[in-house]
Amino acid sequence: MTYNIAKMRNIGISAHIDSGKTTLSERILFYCNKIHAIHEVKGKDGVGATMDSMELERERGITIASAATNVDWKDITINLIDTPGHVDFTIEVERSLRVLDGAILVLCSVGGVQSQSITVDRQLKRYKVPRLAFVNKCDRSGANPFRVTQQLREKLGHNAVMIQIPIGLEEKLEGVVDLVTMKALYFDGKSGETIRETEIPAELIDQAKEKRDELLNAVSMFSDELAESYLEGTETVEQIRKAIRTGTLSLELTPVLMGSAYKNKGIQPLLDSVVSYLPCPSDIEYTALDVDKNNEEFLIKPDPAAPLISLAFKLEDGQYGQLTYIRIYQGSIRKGLELVNTRTQKRFKVGRLIRMHSDSTEDINEAFCGDIVALFGIDCASGDTFTDSSINVSMTSMYVPEPVISLAINPKDKKSADNLSKALNRFTKEDPTFKTYVDAESNQTIIRGMGELHLEIYIERMKREYKIELETGMPQVAYRETITQPARFDYTHKKQTGGSGQYSRVAGIMEPYAENDYLFVDNIKGGVIPNEFIGSCDKGFKQCLPKGRIIEFPIVGVKMTIDDGNFHPVDSSDIAFQLGAIGGFWQAFEKAKPEILEPVMKVSVEGPTEFQGNILGSINQRRGMIVATTEESNFTRVDAEVPLSEMFGYSTVLRSLTQGKAEFTMEFLKYGKVPNSIAEQLKKEYDERKKNEAKKK
Amino acid sequence: MVKKELITRSPLRILEKSTSGGVGKGNIGVITARKGVGKTACLVHIATDQLFQGKHVIHVSFANDTSHIVAWYEDIFHEISHRYNLEGAMDVHNELTKNRVIMNFKQNGISNEQIIRSLRSMIQDGHFMADMIIVDGFDFSKISAEEFHPFKEFAEELKIEIWFSSTLRKEGQTYDSKGIPTLLSPFSTLLSIIIHLEPKEEHIHLKLIKDHDLFPTPELNLKLDPQILLIAKED
Repeated sequence: MTYNIAKMRNIGISAHIDSGKTTLSERILFYCNKIHAIHEVKGKDGVGATMDSMELERERGITIASAATNVDWKDITINLIDTPGHVDFTIEVERSLRVLDGAILVLCSVGGVQSQSITVDRQLKRYKVPRLAFVNKCDRSGANPFRVTQQLREKLGHNAVMIQIPIGLEEKLEGVVDLVTMKALYFDGKSGETIRETEIPAELIDQAKEKRDELLNAVSMFSDELAESYLEGTETVEQIRKAIRTGTLSLELTPVLMGSAYKNKGIQPLLDSVVSYLPCPSDIEYTALDVDKNNEEFLIKPDPAAPLISLAFKLEDGQYGQLTYIRIYQGSIRKGLELVNTRTQKRFKVGRLIRMHSDSTEDINEAFCGDIVALFGIDCASGDTFTDSSINVSMTSMYVPEPVISLAINPKDKKSADNLSKALNRFTKEDPTFKTYVDAESNQTIIRGMGELHLEIYIERMKREYKIELETGMPQVAYRETITQPARFDYTHKKQTGGSGQYSRVAGIMEPYAENDYLFVDNIKGGVIPNEFIGSCDKGFKQCLPKGRIIEFPIVGVKMTIDDGNFHPVDSSDIAFQLGAIGGFWQAFEKAKPEILEPVMKVSVEGPTEFQGNILGSINQRRGMIVATTEESNFTRVDAEVPLSEMFGYSTVLRSLTQGKAEFTMEFLKYGKVPNSIAEQLKKEYDERKKNEAKKK
Repeated sequence: MVKKELITRSPLRILEKSTSGGVGKGNIGVITARKGVGKTACLVHIATDQLFQGKHVIHVSFANDTSHIVAWYEDIFHEISHRYNLEGAMDVHNELTKNRVIMNFKQNGISNEQIIRSLRSMIQDGHFMADMIIVDGFDFSKISAEEFHPFKEFAEELKIEIWFSSTLRKEGQTYDSKGIPTLLSPFSTLLSIIIHLEPKEEHIHLKLIKDHDLFPTPELNLKLDPQILLIAKED
């Protein structure tokens, strides 16, 4: 295959749960492979077996299991990217949306635009993904693609225009009229594989003309050339297609197609439209971050000869071992090439390079920008950027926030425990914001992440994918402790227990330090603390940081300056100065008005304006601070800052307050002071916990 | 300087002294000028002055996004705190942000009823006890006095002071006998204070053209300093 970036498409299929996403995906694979198979028969040497009817049947049973499946449609290569089913905002969703250049938004012709379609569509909008709409299930009773198109306009605010109209509906669905070519299309053969193009049935001519006028009026906006020819009545198919493409790429137009995946109607024209109207990789401007230039934006050139930039967007433990899916944004990759992982700066060689088909894998020697391929057995995390060593850029921000919530998990049996370590190993690799450790005191496995939902998703996956049976504890917020005013310390550590004693005196000041978690300053004059023990003081202070004295959470934001001290020529030692520093630290900590900090989240709730009051009320009840609201086409977004501890169970509450029509996203913003009443409560809980632990012992 | 002193020394006390105590609760004020003269700067300063006094402000805008409005408030706060060498600026800042909320309306042709409904929702459901509402970029040319009346009722009902800004045409702007732009004449009975921003050579002059029922209106002796975008005393 010769490389031509214009003949590549990376697309996703986004849909509401019951709108037939799986069936549509299967049909796309089927028709594409069918064509592929015909090519094979014609004697072209290559990959993939020629399929007999048995295999076709088997093929029809599969669902898209892999993260990206490569198919060929006519002379175009399409990477079908799986978009995660859950709609919660996580790094995983973000990554899969990032690698798409375009999407098919599938809607049910009966159900129309439902709340989940709204969510899915908003995600696509957020990542500026151009899209086509496909109104599926036109064979169902109550099907009405006209109404669905209207809903696309009203509920989603799309400039939606039909580029087809149905021939018959419900059980009488026969095919579609293509309003661009003004031809009727029927889908003959056992699986609708033969397209029969005829004149438009007489009874549909008027409707077709009317809808075509609507289409042309809408798309003339995007092409002066078309607008002129349309006035003169000389518009060509090419002109119309070009204008639809321009409108779609600019996200200002959504072409609407229709059919029934189940009844094999309308799929091939949909694929043709993917080719005609959705972008190829070079149509989209991508940027990376230049690590050497303080993360300045770096504009990516879709040029196979440029230095390689690729993103690992998905890791998969498949039947073939660990696969790393990468999207090549710039340059090209080939077997044997040495790559660098920008995050770890580790180098490795490309062993096997794989293209994933629906039923097989294909070993390839090289791949070029725009493409999606998989690597075998690479040790990396998802979200990592690989380059050849000539360039040091990152596709994603390298900043990984610290987890703000933790949860204890207990596997119920031995088998679950074994599987648990496998699962944790994989999840932590896939998602850098998901962390885990074993608590030394309770011997429990603790998982940590960015929010309640975040952890819930992983627990669900442990149960589903790894068949782990487990019990979970209550989610725990990661509090911090800090000080609010400067305090001096002057501590003498003295111990005489026969043999050599221990002696040190450490004095200085502890101050609040907003810029970072901890800073050590050496202000010792005249060698009152010998040079070799300065580091011991730093070490001693650092030992105090993991566990504060209010509720035993890590201490942040302290600057420790030492400016005085004493030593003993025999009894002073590294350990003596460490202990002296520790003593000094706690002496000052008590005086420095310590307080508890809690993670505050940046919360964004979006829902229909009619529920604005409920949303605002729910934020207010959660000690939230409303920063702004934005209203647009009957939707309101509320931006707020809310303490994480108040956000537990919010998704359920929000669902019931808004009939499931609102969604929210949440990310860590900052640590903020816990109000006094809450701090008292936390201290009480801590004391009780300590008492109980003492009793147990 | 401590916060209390900063409040007493604010040039906006002059506005209150020169007029009959400022706009007052339940009343409406308007700042009017051509595009780009400094309406938003004035409004944000007026709002920030309220925030310094521990009062709550809702800022209504019709912009594309809210980040630049936040930036306005940040700039004006930092300018003031810097200028007066404010003590504990960080804490004051945090306190101020808590008492400010921005409500942005992006849809074209949103109705006044909807704006008022959303404001009510913010105050009652969101428990945001607003003392002042700023409505920046309101289009008076598209509505009648009758349609505007709900704002006045709303202000009176909830005892809130509302400030609007109104953009005048660049050229051919006409004024009525009392010096009020004809654009605002139909609304003048509903407006307690109207201030016109007049660009002078070095600064922008704040001209009081309506002060409750007072006529002729007194001089304000206030200006907008175009360098720092703050309202200041005229020399």
